Amino acid sequence: MQSIINLLTRAVFMSTPLILGALGEVIAERTGMMMCAVEGIFLSGAWGGFVGAYLSGNMFVGFLSAMLCGMLVALLYGFCTVYLGQHQIVMGTAVAILMTGFCTFFYRIVFGTPTSPLKVNPLPVLRIPVLSKIPVIGQVIFSQNIISYLTYLLVPCVFYLLYKTALGLTIRSCGENPEAVEVAGINVRRIRFLAVGAAGILGGIAGAYYSLCNVGMYNSEIISGRGWIAFGICFLGNWNPVGALLFGIIFGISDAIGIYIKALGVSGIPSELFSALPYFLVIVLTAMKKQFNVPAKLGVNYIKED
Amino acid sequence: MGQPVVELKHISKRFAKVLANDDISMQIGKGEVVALLGENGAGKSTIMKILYGLYHETSGEIWVDGVQRRINSPKDAMDLGISMIQQHFSLVEAHTVTENIILGTVKGKIDYAKEEAEIQRLSDEYQFGVPAGALVRDLPVGIQQKVEILKALHRQTRILIMDEPTAVLMPQEIDTLMTFVRKFASEGNSVIFITHKMKEVMEVADRIIIMRNGKISGEVRKEETDTKELARLMIGHELEILSKENAADDSKAIRLQVKNVSVRPKNGVPILENLNFDIGKGEILGVAGVSGNGQQELCEMLCGALTPTEGSVLLDGEDITEKGVAKRIAAGIGYCASDRFRYGMVANMTLAENMMLKASFLKKWDRHGLINWGAVRRYTEEKIRQYQIKAPDASVTAGSLSGGNQQKVVVAREADMGEKLIIFDQPTRGLDLGAINNVQKVILEERAAGKSVLLVSTELSEVFELADRIAVMYQGRFMGIFRPSELTTEKIGMLMAGVTPEEIKRKETEA
Amino acid sequence: MNNRRSVLSLLGWTALAFVLGMVVCFSFLPLMGVNAWEAFKTMFGGVFADTFTMGNILVKMTPLILTGLAFAFTFKANLYNIGAQGQFYVGCICAAATSLSLADRLPAPLVIALACLTSMLGGAVIGFIIGFLKAKFNANEFLVSMMSTYVIIYIMQLLLRTVLQESKHEYIKTDKLPKSVWLPKIISGTSVSLGIVFSIAAAIIVWIILYKTTFGFRIRVTGMNMEAARLSGINTKVEFMAAFAISGAIAGLAGFAEVNGMQHMLLTGLDSDVGSYGIGIAIMADANPIGVIFSAMLFGILQVGGTVLSHSTDAPASIIDLMLGFVMLFVLISFFFRRKTELARLKKKKAGEE
Repeated sequence: MQSIINLLTRAVFMSTPLILGALGEVIAERTGMMMCAVEGIFLSGAWGGFVGAYLSGNMFVGFLSAMLCGMLVALLYGFCTVYLGQHQIVMGTAVAILMTGFCTFFYRIVFGTPTSPLKVNPLPVLRIPVLSKIPVIGQVIFSQNIISYLTYLLVPCVFYLLYKTALGLTIRSCGENPEAVEVAGINVRRIRFLAVGAAGILGGIAGAYYSLCNVGMYNSEIISGRGWIAFGICFLGNWNPVGALLFGIIFGISDAIGIYIKALGVSGIPSELFSALPYFLVIVLTAMKKQFNVPAKLGVNYIKED
Repeated sequence: MGQPVVELKHISKRFAKVLANDDISMQIGKGEVVALLGENGAGKSTIMKILYGLYHETSGEIWVDGVQRRINSPKDAMDLGISMIQQHFSLVEAHTVTENIILGTVKGKIDYAKEEAEIQRLSDEYQFGVPAGALVRDLPVGIQQKVEILKALHRQTRILIMDEPTAVLMPQEIDTLMTFVRKFASEGNSVIFITHKMKEVMEVADRIIIMRNGKISGEVRKEETDTKELARLMIGHELEILSKENAADDSKAIRLQVKNVSVRPKNGVPILENLNFDIGKGEILGVAGVSGNGQQELCEMLCGALTPTEGSVLLDGEDITEKGVAKRIAAGIGYCASDRFRYGMVANMTLAENMMLKASFLKKWDRHGLINWGAVRRYTEEKIRQYQIKAPDASVTAGSLSGGNQQKVVVAREADMGEKLIIFDQPTRGLDLGAINNVQKVILEERAAGKSVLLVSTELSEVFELADRIAVMYQGRFMGIFRPSELTTEKIGMLMAGVTPEEIKRKETEA
Repeated sequence: MNNRRSVLSLLGWTALAFVLGMVVCFSFLPLMGVNAWEAFKTMFGGVFADTFTMGNILVKMTPLILTGLAFAFTFKANLYNIGAQGQFYVGCICAAATSLSLADRLPAPLVIALACLTSMLGGAVIGFIIGFLKAKFNANEFLVSMMSTYVIIYIMQLLLRTVLQESKHEYIKTDKLPKSVWLPKIISGTSVSLGIVFSIAAAIIVWIILYKTTFGFRIRVTGMNMEAARLSGINTKVEFMAAFAISGAIAGLAGFAEVNGMQHMLLTGLDSDVGSYGIGIAIMADANPIGVIFSAMLFGILQVGGTVLSHSTDAPASIIDLMLGFVMLFVLISFFFRRKTELARLKKKKAGEE
């Protein structure tokens, strides 16, 4: 029983950055931007978060710098795609290559070549008074770190934003029929650019989660496809914040199982198969699930004649 | 006319490829309906998109209420009370009517219940019958247009620009629209009505501005003109008159036979229902009807892209029901699709490659397993000369040609590919009159050469002029097949609206 | 005439973008106490100093041309095979497994041929699966191909740890391939093997398929206008699967060229960037198969140059990715300006005519 609770606690812990990244994706993709820079954004967040936190000794500064890094990378991507009309998928790859080089290179510039790996203390668990005493749920949900709590609060906020506000209506319309939005007197490109920036901020925090909450250190392998999984979660969740939450948890569980089995070192099943599980899951789910609700103009740049 | 509400002074607009507007000046008065008449590509939409802030003028001035304004975006235009209904509606199909109408006008939290009630009230006030809570994609085109009008009314528009608003409407709906336009103008608002149909202009406008090749070629009051003068101003020259020798001849051998064909999606409304007809050699069967009543599906069924669920199709007595597109191309069926840009050509490929498009399974240009591009190019250049296509050579992309020339390329290809049967779906849509003339001539030539032709058109005059027999289509069914002499405009209008021939007969005897 | 002008303008803008990318990248070097100008001289001096290093450019190019072609081929069908890295690894696994298991039993040329075939087949199978999922279930091929790479990486690790592991069971890699099944060297004094010939031949064959055969023509039509393809009798689903299978086979071939031609063994984390570099290469070449050869050469020069730099100065090896990233970024941005000036030129020309 206790081991199942531990597993679930771990699952919630691991799902946080995926949900966070996917929420950013939902916002950006609803405006029609296929956010292929997400892997690069996650990496820059992990790097920026670690550098900020290590140099200042303050977690808050770390996350702030992660947000800034994520946003800048996203805006670079946004500028080239939205304003310069470059291909979104292609640009995403370019950003990924650039960030791989950039983060490793500047890690070296900032820290030189340290003899032992640099570490910060991972973000502590914040037990919510009273609630954390509830059996099972208390540990699984109310004994997480602050980022997890904020992420779960963010889900209804994004939902409210998208479906109950004028800005949300604009965002959703941009992805369906940008011409109509332009005719309604709204600057489509600005909306898309800003949405990409917002996704960058959330993606930056998500990336920093891996370096600051999970291990407390940075290396260039730290993200290894997690950004793409957030991208996939956004697809699987039908571009809906609640769907993102649901699939985020599913992937959190599969992530946790992999880590758990590896840690236990039991069973005849090789650990590599568990590591591959989340990626395999994306393939299976994408193939199985009927797609609907796809923003009609997803991935199509809005080019103004003139 | 007192002070004009809107005044455009010497506006020019240059795109990379064309000079779309050349020194355009015009005035719009209060309570006035101004028609902007001209052929496709004359620059009517461009000048109005400039007024609405979608395009920016290269030079010139815009004055509203006697004050010079810069209109940088539709937002600026709307603030001045200007709205424009685009030819292709600017509606988000996945959203509700209410969401579409309030887009861009609301801020902060949206109270959907309140907004919906208000829009419903507005719709009822004008007796539009628009359900404010429905999804736009579930509404017929006529109602979608009313959503666009409501959008303008909701924003308290006083200058309404409508771009080709009647193109998608049925005759009865056009009447309602005209009534609305008159009423709206009589309330002290101004309407600019963009169209290429002279009949509408005479019906609705106070004043008519005619454009040709990006310039204003004339400006007349309705009372002082007639359609003949308008046509001259619009086209700039007289048109060649087409002649069709020998009236239909029943003895012609039957080439295509369609027997009891239906297309029914599983548990859905039938797309095509119980079609029975044949086309003889050297015969043109015209198909009239309001667009969207199954014409495209009929064409796709004949060319093999859509398989009938019941019935059979015979070509020269051979059953081709189960044959796919590639086999039917080989059998000699050509298909000129309605939307050439989407279905008939590849804009980024060269003219030679486009000529190759339908022949990729044939051995026509094969040399040792590779494509003999030299031969394709020579063939293409021959067609360019034959059809007088305005293109330097076969190596330019199809997308760089004007609409009329693109259509000529497609027609040239299909006329050759269709050795037995050619399907033309709205072959003259969106073309200028010269190109229309040209395409119609080709259709008649192919008929004279003994080919069978199926001609789908929403332009009644075209069907009457070219077809030997006319089928009227309504909701996937044929309302009957007639000789042109058996039909009047009134009768065909009723058939197009779904009134059966028996009902028409009854009404006639009653009257 | 027009064609030559556009090629020239492409080259000019790309050169400018290249220079800008290098300038930005090198301007970071002083932060490490490395003199940028000296570094520049060291790098290009080093690259062209001897035949061995120059040969290395060809060595680096070999798999890059192929992964570039793999992306370009699907790109022509408006599809995105982001998973060339995974298909490359499958090719590596097949080539290594075939070579190691058959080297003693069959004549060497036959083994090499079999390794080549199995690696292409392996890549093709993976590609076909992705294309099949796309055609049959309308699965997002972009996502599926991306994820397939990660799955394959872990499976490869598992294989290298178990059945394929070297006889000493120490490291996560295979035994060294027997010399008999190595691809022969074609330039003495360098490591350049027959693999580069395979690559360039592949580029030419892909060009012929795409532009000279009806099969390639159909793939291009499908990519540019699916509706027109459907009404021309083309089965778009078949084209999807075929395009992906061929793309996978090309990436698989890269695995063979790398294992039998260069590394002579398979180890974990081998060439972990060829997939994403391939995308960059294909894009810089505007997905033209012949252009891929040249942009792969550019990537090869930067890779070799970066290695020279990291060996002879304090600059780290990560400068390679930084250079490639910036050059790619600027090349993409240059596309925008090239188009803009082209339009402006057209506008001016038209205005002059009127």
